[in-house]
Formats: sequence, C-alpha cells, structure tokens
Amino acid sequence: MRAFLLALFCTLSLAASDTSINLQVKILEKILNEISINKEKIIWSDNKTICQAMKKNKHIHTTPDHKQATIVILQDKNNLPKKCADCIIFVLDYELLSKVPKSFGAFFWKKGRPNIVIIKSRLKTLSIQASSDLDPYIEEKVW
Amino acid sequence: MVKAKEIFLFLMLFILGVFFIYIYYYIKQTQEDIFIKMQNNKIENVRHILKNIEDTLVTKNSITNKEELISHLSNKQNRDKYEEMVAIFITPTIKYIYLLYKDSDDRFRFLLDASKEDKANFYQKFDVFNKEYALVYETLEPQSIKQKKMQNLYLTYLYPIKTSNEVIGILSVDITSDIQSEILNLLRPLETFFVILIIFIFLLMLMTIVQVFHYFITRKKIFTDPLTQIYNRNYLQEIAPRLNLNHYSLAMIDLDYFKVVNDVYGHKAGDAILAKSSLIIKSSIRDNDILLRYGGEEFMLLLYNRDSKDDLSEIYERIRKNISSHIFTYEKNKLEMQVSIGVHEYPASEKNLNEAIKVADKMLYIAKKEGRNRVIYHRDNSKVTQDSKSKDLYFVKQAIEEDRVLCYYQPIYECSTGKIFKYEALVRIIDTDGKIISPAQFLPDLKHTNIHYKLTKRILSIVFLKFKDSSENVSINMNFTDLINKDIETTLIETFASSPSLASRVTIEVLESDEIQNTALFKEKVKLLHSYGATVSIDDFGSGYSNFKSILDIEADFLKIDGSLVKNIATNEKDFKVVKSIIAFAKDSNMKAIAEFVHSSEVYDKLSEIGVEYMQGYYIAKPCQRLLQSNELFEE
Repeated sequence: MRAFLLALFCTLSLAASDTSINLQVKILEKILNEISINKEKIIWSDNKTICQAMKKNKHIHTTPDHKQATIVILQDKNNLPKKCADCIIFVLDYELLSKVPKSFGAFFWKKGRPNIVIIKSRLKTLSIQASSDLDPYIEEKVW
Repeated sequence: MVKAKEIFLFLMLFILGVFFIYIYYYIKQTQEDIFIKMQNNKIENVRHILKNIEDTLVTKNSITNKEELISHLSNKQNRDKYEEMVAIFITPTIKYIYLLYKDSDDRFRFLLDASKEDKANFYQKFDVFNKEYALVYETLEPQSIKQKKMQNLYLTYLYPIKTSNEVIGILSVDITSDIQSEILNLLRPLETFFVILIIFIFLLMLMTIVQVFHYFITRKKIFTDPLTQIYNRNYLQEIAPRLNLNHYSLAMIDLDYFKVVNDVYGHKAGDAILAKSSLIIKSSIRDNDILLRYGGEEFMLLLYNRDSKDDLSEIYERIRKNISSHIFTYEKNKLEMQVSIGVHEYPASEKNLNEAIKVADKMLYIAKKEGRNRVIYHRDNSKVTQDSKSKDLYFVKQAIEEDRVLCYYQPIYECSTGKIFKYEALVRIIDTDGKIISPAQFLPDLKHTNIHYKLTKRILSIVFLKFKDSSENVSINMNFTDLINKDIETTLIETFASSPSLASRVTIEVLESDEIQNTALFKEKVKLLHSYGATVSIDDFGSGYSNFKSILDIEADFLKIDGSLVKNIATNEKDFKVVKSIIAFAKDSNMKAIAEFVHSSEVYDKLSEIGVEYMQGYYIAKPCQRLLQSNELFEE
C-alpha cells in the first residue's frame, strides 16, 4: 500500500513537468492495473483525449468501438453506451457514481486535488478484484 | 604581461558576474519575502475569521467531541446555516473554505463545504496526504501548505477545531495564487533580463578564459626549446627584469666535443645527445632551479641559493659526473660525453645578468682551456683570471663579422731546387687597435666550436681568392672535424670543380691528432681531395698519437714533421733520431717529408744532412702578408 501511495505521489510529482491530461491518464492506468476482472481489459472512453493517450501505453488495450470494450471510462452520462451490458464502468465525476449505478469507482479533481473513490459493494457485484493498494480509496457507499 | 589586459577584463567580468548573480538572488529573495509577508498577512486575516467560525460552531453549540460535531452537522439545516455563514468570507483570493474530519481509518471527510464551486458532499472522502494535516492533530497548531502548481492554488491554511485539548476537525482554507502570479509576471522581465545578462557575462568570461588558456599554451611554446623541452633564451629575456640574482648562482654548461659528434654521427645524433643531456642535467637539479638552453650545445643554469651557506658546488659536480658517467647511445653507437661548467657564484655582484653571463662564460672558457670536463668557479675573492694575452671566442667572432681576418704566407723551401715549393697560409687577426694577433692567442680555444669552422671557411675564401689566378702552390691548415664538415666539403668541391688548376696547387694540411680515430672516414676524404687533384699533408707528425699504420692507410702526399721535434735536432740526439726515422718512413711510404720550425742554420744543416726534401721556418723566411720570392729567402 505504501508503495502504491509512493507511486501515486511520484506520479503526482511528475505532474510538475507533465500536462493535466497525462497525469490523469497515468492515474487511471494505475487504477486499471490494480483491478482484475474475469475477462480481458479492453478500454473505451467517451473522452477521446484519454483514449488517445492510453493508446500509447503498450500494456493497455483500447478500442474505438464501445461494443468490444470490457471497461468504459465515462465522462458524461449521456455518452453511456446503451448496449453495454457486460462492461464495467469507471467514471470521471463523483456525482456520476450515483447517477450510473453500474459504475464501480471514480477518479475526479476535488478542490485542485486528485481523488479516487471505489465503491466496495459494486466491486463485489461486478466481480472485480481490487488490489490492497486501492484500500485507502474504497468506500462503503456514495455520500 | 601581454595578457594583463585579458586578466583585468576577466576579473572585471567576474566581479560584474558576481554582482549580477547577487542582484538576481536579491530580487528572488525579495520576491520570496513579499510572498511570505503577503502570506502572513493573509493568514492573519483568515485566522480571525476561522477563530470566529470555530467559536460559533463549537463554543455556542457546546460541542465537546467529534461525535457531537458530526451529529450536529449531520443535520442538513445546520450545515446549510453554517455554509451560508462561512460563504460570506469567500472572496476571489479565498477560493475554498471547508471543514474536514478525520475518521477512524484516518481518512479525511467533508463535514462542511462553503465553496461556491466544486462543492463536496457531506461526509465525502477527501484524498489529502500532506504531512501538515497530521501535524495539526499532533501539535494542535495551525499549519500552512504552500501549494505547487495545483490549479491556481497558492496556499492552504489548516486551522484546528479544538475541544478539551483535542482536535475534532480542521477548517481548511485554499487561497488562490492570482496575486502571486501578478507579482511574478511583473518581476519576470527583470528576472529574464538578469538571467540573460548573467549568461552573457558567463560567455564573455568563458571566452576570456579560452583566450588566456590559449595564451599560456602559446607562451609555453615560445619559451620552450622544442628539442630539449627546457626553457630557451626567450624565457630568459622574459624573466630577466624580475630575476633576483641575489638568490641564484649562475652557470654556463657546455658539452665537450659536441661538434665532433655532430660531424661524425650527424645532427640527429647531436640532437639526441642534447635531449638526453638536458634530461640528465634536469634530474641533477632541484625544482626551483632554472635550466635553459642558451644556444647550440650550451646550457645556462640558475641554481637557487636562498641560504648563502648552501654548497652548490655539489650540484655542479653532480651534473658533471652524471653526464660523464652516462653512456649515450645513438642507433648502435655508444658515446661518452663530458661537460665543462663555468660558474659565477655571485651573479648579483655584476651590473646586470648579461655581465654575469659573460663572467660565467669566461669561467667556461677557462674550463675548456684547462682540459674540459671540469667546473671552474668565479668567486669574489677568486684568483682565477683569464690570460690577458689570450683572446676569447667573442674576439674571433667579431673579427670574422668585421672582416678583420687575413692570411700570412710562409714559404716552404724545396731543398733540391733551392726554390719556393709552396706557401703555407697562416691565419692572423687584426685587432681593433690595428695590431696583428697571432693564432697562438686565439686558435687553441676555438677548437670544436662553431667559430673554428667559420674561421676555416673564411680562410678558404681568402686563400682561394689569392691563389685562383696565380701559379703558386699553397697549403691550408684544417683539423679533422673541419675536413669532415659537410659545409666545408661543399666549398672545397665547388671551388675545385670550377677551377681544376687551383685544385692541383692546393694541399690540405690536416693535424695529426687523437681526433683522427675514424681512419676510414679520413681516407675517404683524402680520396675525394685526390680525385680533384688536390694533395693532402699530415701536419705536426710525431707530436700526437702517431700511428704509422693509420698514416699509411690514409695515403697522404706529405708528412710534416712536428716543430717540437725539429727545433732541437741540432742539440738533441734523440730528436735527431726520431726525425731521421720519420724521414725514412715517409720515403718508404711514398710521402714527401717537410720539416717545419727551421729556425737556425744548425737545424737547416742537420736536416740537409739527413735528406729532408722540404723545409720551412724563420731561418728560411718568416710568414708575410705578400708572397715572398725565392730570392728573398734566408734574409734576416
């Protein structure tokens, strides 16, 4: 866990010489690496900038077609694919956690600071295993 | 000296550079101070606001622990009331004000958020990991966090909400960096100006350093002799004005018989000997001594002697011994060298360095004269003086340069015909007073020096000019090293080739001495002379290391019997026998014998009795500037 925090802070430190979007992508990649699902992680996002940035990472598999995606990173609820029964959703706004019940976690900026929230019950429902490094961010419910 | 300007420029730039760096840091520091003052001022204002909020929230509601605080704020109406109240303090610089609570898992959660934008929900988790949050709980004191590049946030102020000496929450205020940015923007052009100025000065300094470095490289080349890698005379000129001679003893060191090495083994061998010798001398002296190549095979040494009690003679003796004990090798040849050293122990007693060098040079001259391979000292109370009659190298050098060299000619008498067979050219110098100086006063000390070779060249030119259009024969004296000198050989060949008649009338008289070690080379030169029709005579035979076998090998035309044997022939039976034997040897060897130093009728008669073919001497005729005729012989 300490290692994760350290890594997160190192990542944050890198922000000094990095753009906001790159930092955001690095944190998202870290979170995605720390969870495991029962299928291959294929990412789709309605935020094209994030998609483009993630494409550069050889370890992350992205797709332009949401139908093929197993993980959706959602910025806007209106963009939520209707035919996405099997995919798991990670949102980029805390409020979306309430609005999209299928979402299991969120990454967002709160008062200039990066924040992560992962909802414990939804992890269980969606059969997602999160590594212990994510423990500090696990919440029982959305407040 | 030349580069004083550059060094001054460098120092000026350095000072200027330091000054501008100071100004730059001063501006940065001032900037920092302004921020700190602003920060303190802001914090002071905020602290009062937060204190009031704390009073309203905790004291007025009699909250005694965090559970009560959570319970009180769980009520939405209460939250709205406080958030409305706190929101009054939101300004363009105070961006967020919120109340945090640390739960049992050490996670911070929002209890109140009066922010007008980016508002958090009640009990929402807030990921903050700065150590100052923990410090608030530990110290119960407010903390401030200077934010770096965090969405316009400049400062976060953390105010503890306390009850019963326990922190139950943290009132957090985020202050924006707008003013700071404005100040930074205002100062940035000035800052940029100083940075450019510093870079510019740094570049100038770098250029000056490169120039100075280049100067020292060039200076080293100028002051270093490329062959020996020791200082040269340029260096002496450079240091002379500031050289304190009181701290030095001065010596002139000269390699003995160096010219022979050059002539016999070539200049490359000479160069190798010079380089090695300088190494040996360098290894024999100390770091603070100054060794330089004064010219040719001559070195100058300034031995440091701060303490006048120092015995420097040990060092000079060590140099002499180290050179003489070293076996120099060049290709497959092994050579032994010696040095003569002339020392002026108190050079400061002279008018200047040049005068001191002259004295040391005279001591060197005496060392050479006294047999070489020795050290001769000049001390204030020294009785060592130069022979007043003898003339030094400078005298001859000056005479050559001023064209004061001339030849006298002494007839060599042919006994069988009673006529002059040929003339021997004898060198004379006219001194500055017009007096004729005989060779005995200057010739012995010229041996093996460049001056001797120059003098020989001058004599050749005088004699050739005089006898070119005449029908008389002439003998020219030359030593072995002159004979093997390439320059002299070229002169002889060119003259003989252009005037065969002159060649057939010239005899080269070579001194028979220990220097004729290389018989093969001598023989080769004799053959060369013979090929042009010139003849060769062995001079002073019987005086040196007469080696009959070598003389036979050389195949000379004449054998001149040494005067020291001839002069006593009338009174000394042994000399008589020797001379008689030499004449017999010459006849048997197909050489003609010449007896010199015929100074009396008794000697003349004795020589006639033993059948010598040619004679010369004061009894027959004294040397004269003009060519005497046969009828002028035997006159007093």
